Amino acid sequence: MPKDKFFKVIANKQHPNEELVPTHCSYCGMQCGMNLRVDKSTNKIIGVEPRYDWPVTLGKMCPKGVTAYQQTNHDDRLLRPLIRDDASLKGTKEGFREASWDEAYELIVSKFQELQGRYGKDSLSVFSGVSMTNEKCYLTGKFARVALQTRYIDYNGRFCMSSAAAGFLRSFGVDRGSTLPWTDLHETDCLFIAGSNTAECHPTSMFRVWEVQNRGGYLIVADPRETPIARRADIHLDLRPGTDLALANCMVNLLIQNGYADEQFVAAHTNGFEEMKEIVKEFTPEYTSEITGVAPEKLIRAAEIYGKAPNAVVMFARGIEQQHKGADNVSAYTNMCLVTGKIGRPKAGVATFTGQGNGQGGREHGQKSDLLPGYRKLTNPKHVEEVCKVWGITPEEMPQPGVSAYEMFELMDQKTIRGLYLLCSNPAVSAPNQNFVREALRNLDFMVCADIYLSESAEFADVVLPSVTWSEDEGTVTNLEGRIIKINKAQEPIGESKPDWQIEVELAERLGRGRYFSHLKTAKDVADEFRLASKGGYADYYGATWDKIEKQNGVFWPCRSEEDPGTPHMFLDHQFYHADGKAKLCALPYRPPAEEPCEQYPLRLTTGRVVYHYLSGNQTRRIPFLRDMCPEPYVEIHPETAALYNIQHEEVVRLYTRRGEAWYKVKIIEAIRKDTVFVPYHFGHEQSINLLTIPALDPMSRMPEFKVCAAQLEKQPERMNAR
Amino acid sequence: MKQHLYIEMDNCIGCRSCLAACTQCGGHDERNRNYVYEVNPLVTRQTIPLMCLHCVNPACARSCPAQAIQITEEGAVLSALVEKCIGCQNCTIACPYGIPKFDEEQNLMYKCDLCYDRTKEGIPPMCASVCPTNTLQWVTEEELAAKKAQHKLGKWTASHQPFEPLEGETNVKISLPGILQGKQKLF
Repeated sequence: MPKDKFFKVIANKQHPNEELVPTHCSYCGMQCGMNLRVDKSTNKIIGVEPRYDWPVTLGKMCPKGVTAYQQTNHDDRLLRPLIRDDASLKGTKEGFREASWDEAYELIVSKFQELQGRYGKDSLSVFSGVSMTNEKCYLTGKFARVALQTRYIDYNGRFCMSSAAAGFLRSFGVDRGSTLPWTDLHETDCLFIAGSNTAECHPTSMFRVWEVQNRGGYLIVADPRETPIARRADIHLDLRPGTDLALANCMVNLLIQNGYADEQFVAAHTNGFEEMKEIVKEFTPEYTSEITGVAPEKLIRAAEIYGKAPNAVVMFARGIEQQHKGADNVSAYTNMCLVTGKIGRPKAGVATFTGQGNGQGGREHGQKSDLLPGYRKLTNPKHVEEVCKVWGITPEEMPQPGVSAYEMFELMDQKTIRGLYLLCSNPAVSAPNQNFVREALRNLDFMVCADIYLSESAEFADVVLPSVTWSEDEGTVTNLEGRIIKINKAQEPIGESKPDWQIEVELAERLGRGRYFSHLKTAKDVADEFRLASKGGYADYYGATWDKIEKQNGVFWPCRSEEDPGTPHMFLDHQFYHADGKAKLCALPYRPPAEEPCEQYPLRLTTGRVVYHYLSGNQTRRIPFLRDMCPEPYVEIHPETAALYNIQHEEVVRLYTRRGEAWYKVKIIEAIRKDTVFVPYHFGHEQSINLLTIPALDPMSRMPEFKVCAAQLEKQPERMNAR
Repeated sequence: MKQHLYIEMDNCIGCRSCLAACTQCGGHDERNRNYVYEVNPLVTRQTIPLMCLHCVNPACARSCPAQAIQITEEGAVLSALVEKCIGCQNCTIACPYGIPKFDEEQNLMYKCDLCYDRTKEGIPPMCASVCPTNTLQWVTEEELAAKKAQHKLGKWTASHQPFEPLEGETNVKISLPGILQGKQKLF
């Protein structure tokens, strides 16, 4: 692997009587390298040391990363299984008693068998997550389809990466989140970043982002808020939430109009140019300005810079993806690289900032309702046959595709789904339209939750199983570059907690499906079966052995054989993954957000992260430093808007939409559009902004439109001191 | 090889990773010793870190009646010695940047010691190790010279140059916001 200009050889500080275990952070897709400090006399994790020799992040960590080690031996860890006998207490922390694993397993097996006996195999569901290793993600798909034999499995990537996946599949025929390694980023000449609060969500990318400007390159940021990255951008396209498709179409239109299209590349390597050109020509700077609220001059200048740049990278994140046209936004921004031919070479391409630690790998290997390992499709008989061979079942035994994450809650509400096995996710905070989702969870006949802490979602469970943190198990994760990396075990599981793969194997055995699972005795056993199951798929991990990962500082997929070093740069031969080898330029007519402001709800509500918290906050809200820095949510409002409502800084307001309401302290700042309010989404119970968000789903990716809905607020002087 | 902590304020995103990391240094008793300020919070998200600048002739040490504040040969200005500090808090008043913190319970001043247990071995301090934005960097004399040329540090930095924005000479060097002003663009 090449070392870049930032790389320095630095010896680690050796603390007496301690061992350093090299691994990666538990949180976002950056997967920053870190060394966990382990006390040799207690064998416990006690701290962190930078991992200076990790080529992507060079020892750098955000405040979540620095304090991540505090999760492992935290007082809130679940140490034994919990059972709650009184179902009327669901939705609270009350009524749980400690139980043995045997008792918990017996109860789960008897309830699952009872439900499936009475209502059919598909009455059970699995809701999973991608903040865990590829091995666990792989096995969870197999667990649902082979052990539980249900069609209903989906995962929290539907709230995170599914639009990027759908958009890339349509444009390229393959979904690798970044077409180039992160170590290229600072060498490009223009970064065009849309809908990514990079500084807060992927902070360790920032030294590379700033370096582009230090070299005299350009930074263009599209965001309704002047985020810490937008603050220093050469051009800040301050668009209305939910209008990205118009902005992207305008960029492509201007690139074509002004002669920046690479006609040779377009002719040789793409399809669909004429249809696309027909659609985008309507998006003049003036018309686009009406839709997006961005000044025409800024649109013209942004397209000019991107067009002129010898090399450029288009990047985006949940801001454009968490919309009911998220997949269209992804393909539309991807059109920028395809039409200019700025892809398929070093220092140029397109990338999404993967949100979850294993958002990339976790979506490739069969946790998605319609996918099997190696990015194979359940609807493709050949793909099904290939996986059946590895699993030892017949194609007839393979369940049909299920439904997406949010749609599973609808099926729970309709009593089609009656039982739930939830792991590695906290939908009672993270799903949209919380009032509906929490009711669906409450009304389940039986629910199991495996987690490291008693999450808000675990409060709805009948049985809670203690799983392990990332630091108490080993396996691989695929970071936001598409680089497969190794997570190492730094201490033994605390209490009676177990890794999710082991829980699934033991449950499968008790469900009478042991012959498909009992051979998996270690994480390595799961890894070997998983590599084989991915072999021949688009996301081929067969050659990514743990040895090679260690030797090469990671392996980029596809990696098809033991001799194959992997694929850091995609499409260097300009061969895309559609059958004819060409990429697709997509013609995408504009659609407004599902809910536009009106007299009753005149504001645009958008949601996002703060640097101190990760996803639903189940982990980070328990870490003292992070909690102190951001103890509660707030609503961010422009001072002129606040003046219209006669609201002061730090006053409490009631914020409400057609779906719900919540009370927040006001944070006044000029760095947001006047027509938009922002609330961070990491908080639970009555503080959750997802009580208000809209479950309008993207027709392709089934991603809910978290990023925009219509809202209203009112002064609530009587609540001032209530909190 | 002499190395410096170098601060490029314009890069700061306010993540406070430096503060989290400060608690991780061996001798820091899990308390952070530095500051990150919001420059104008009702207007912009700009933040700047304020670390001890390790003055060559530090006001904190000069003001100490008990000679509790030691300066190492590398120029690191250390926390007050437990056995000497009388808790008078002169140093907290004398420091022009408000760096020294005071522990009421222990009646003891504590401050940034430039992670002396690391930097004496040539390992960067924790804050500069983790800083995701390169706001805080641990640089050699040559790298510092390159920064000076690049950012016209005479105008922007603290080190006995014309237009000096800070008092006195410091071992920590800084560039104030504005490093991109006048930057020659690639195209």
